[in-house]
Amino acid sequence: MPATPAATFDRLCALLMKDYKLDAGQLTPDAPLDALGIDSLGVADLLFNIEDEFGISLGAEPVQLLTVGDVARFIDEQVAAQQHPAGTAGNTQAGGPPGPASSAVT
Amino acid sequence: MRRIAVTGMGVVSPLGHSAQAAFAAARAGRSAIHCLNVPFAHRLASPLGATAAFDGADHFDAPRLRMLDRVSQFALVAARQALAGVDAAAVDGQRAGVFMGTGMGGIGSIDDGYQTLYGQDSDRIKPFTVLMGMHNAPAAWIGIEQGWRGPNLTFSTACSSSAVAIGEAWARLARGEIDIALAGGTEAPLCFGSLKAWEALRTVAAIDPADPSASCKPFSSNRSGMVLGEGAAMLVLEPWDRALARGATIHGELAGYGLFTDAGHITRPSAEGQAAALRAALQSAGMAADEVDAVNAHGTGTPANDGIETAAIKAVFGARAGRIPVSATKALHGHLLGAASALECVLSLMAMQHAVALPTMHLAQADPQCDLDYVPNAAREGVPIRAMLSSSFAFGGTNAVLALRAAD
Repeated sequence: MPATPAATFDRLCALLMKDYKLDAGQLTPDAPLDALGIDSLGVADLLFNIEDEFGISLGAEPVQLLTVGDVARFIDEQVAAQQHPAGTAGNTQAGGPPGPASSAVT
Repeated sequence: MRRIAVTGMGVVSPLGHSAQAAFAAARAGRSAIHCLNVPFAHRLASPLGATAAFDGADHFDAPRLRMLDRVSQFALVAARQALAGVDAAAVDGQRAGVFMGTGMGGIGSIDDGYQTLYGQDSDRIKPFTVLMGMHNAPAAWIGIEQGWRGPNLTFSTACSSSAVAIGEAWARLARGEIDIALAGGTEAPLCFGSLKAWEALRTVAAIDPADPSASCKPFSSNRSGMVLGEGAAMLVLEPWDRALARGATIHGELAGYGLFTDAGHITRPSAEGQAAALRAALQSAGMAADEVDAVNAHGTGTPANDGIETAAIKAVFGARAGRIPVSATKALHGHLLGAASALECVLSLMAMQHAVALPTMHLAQADPQCDLDYVPNAAREGVPIRAMLSSSFAFGGTNAVLALRAAD
């Protein structure tokens, strides 16, 4: 089954609840990260954990992520790009579920 | 020079998490030294330590906690305690300073990073490693939490770090450059890399097979070394008249501070250097040697220190040296390195308030080189103490002594 944005969002929320002790009720797509105690510096740490959780490798270039939804979308983009590099990004038809077991880090 | 009062004390330590709790344990001679229950214990020749029963999750939310090495957690909690009697809204943050001592900073986070790089052969070092490991993180976090914008300084002179931090805060306050200071030290050295490094230097005590908690034996002829401890102690310092004006509880007077650097050997102590630091503290405080009612010794329990320190005390106090109670509390809380002086300063202030000479525990065998009154093995009650010196002598040779007077 291909990854869906909803599945990504749920996995992200599970990570935020585990590592940042946040309540599910706080975690809506438009919730600002800053209000959850994760400022721009905290995002660097969050992305590090996302690499482990989603089996992807994120570059060092700065990325502007302001809400939980922004992060979920960013993960989807990165997963798609790394599973289907060079022009096939976004095609989820042939993709397996992202995750450490099916990591497509190049 | 303005007279400086101690108006707050905060402690996170192996002996308990308040000045009162730590003092009660020290007075009772309850040692917190124990065999470490850690996965790497079998790789330590002498797996001893004095841990603080402390869980950062009790004090910080999870996102903040991810950024705080244990050394910063200790310092922040001790600072909050110390400030309990201070109205934050009445503090002019521009005139408020933080003065911190630490010997090893965020060594646990550095150790974790090396474990990742070298132990696991992984490049995935945590993004916060730099900010958790840097020595000035504890002071910086306190400044951020309190909004204090005056000097925010970290001193690293090994085992005298927090005496230097307290002394330098005292000097700035006395000169009128600031109006309030948080000063003290913090240390969290009980990670594998740090414990092995101290072991390699052959300074760590052997385990007493009969009672591991008695392994650190200052001034006893069978002493074999120090035991590392962890924690933080912070003082609130402010000018005496300002403390009186706001009706603050005054725990005692920080009367002076003496420094003398050996400029000799990198580790070997010198009786001349220690004596000079003791004299410098007396001079700084305008205190006569005859006024001193008790001494808190550096008293590490290493073969090298205790005999030298005894000689230094004799050199300064002459014939009276043998009649001055000399206490070495490291037998109980271990050596907190950069936090040691601050914790011992707190214990000394409490000892003056309660007219108690704190015991030097585990002193079972007299050493002919160590022939002073160390208050062996039991606290002495009803000892009026009007003035005290608290000594810290460090690797690197920075000898620092704080001069204290009772609040009266």
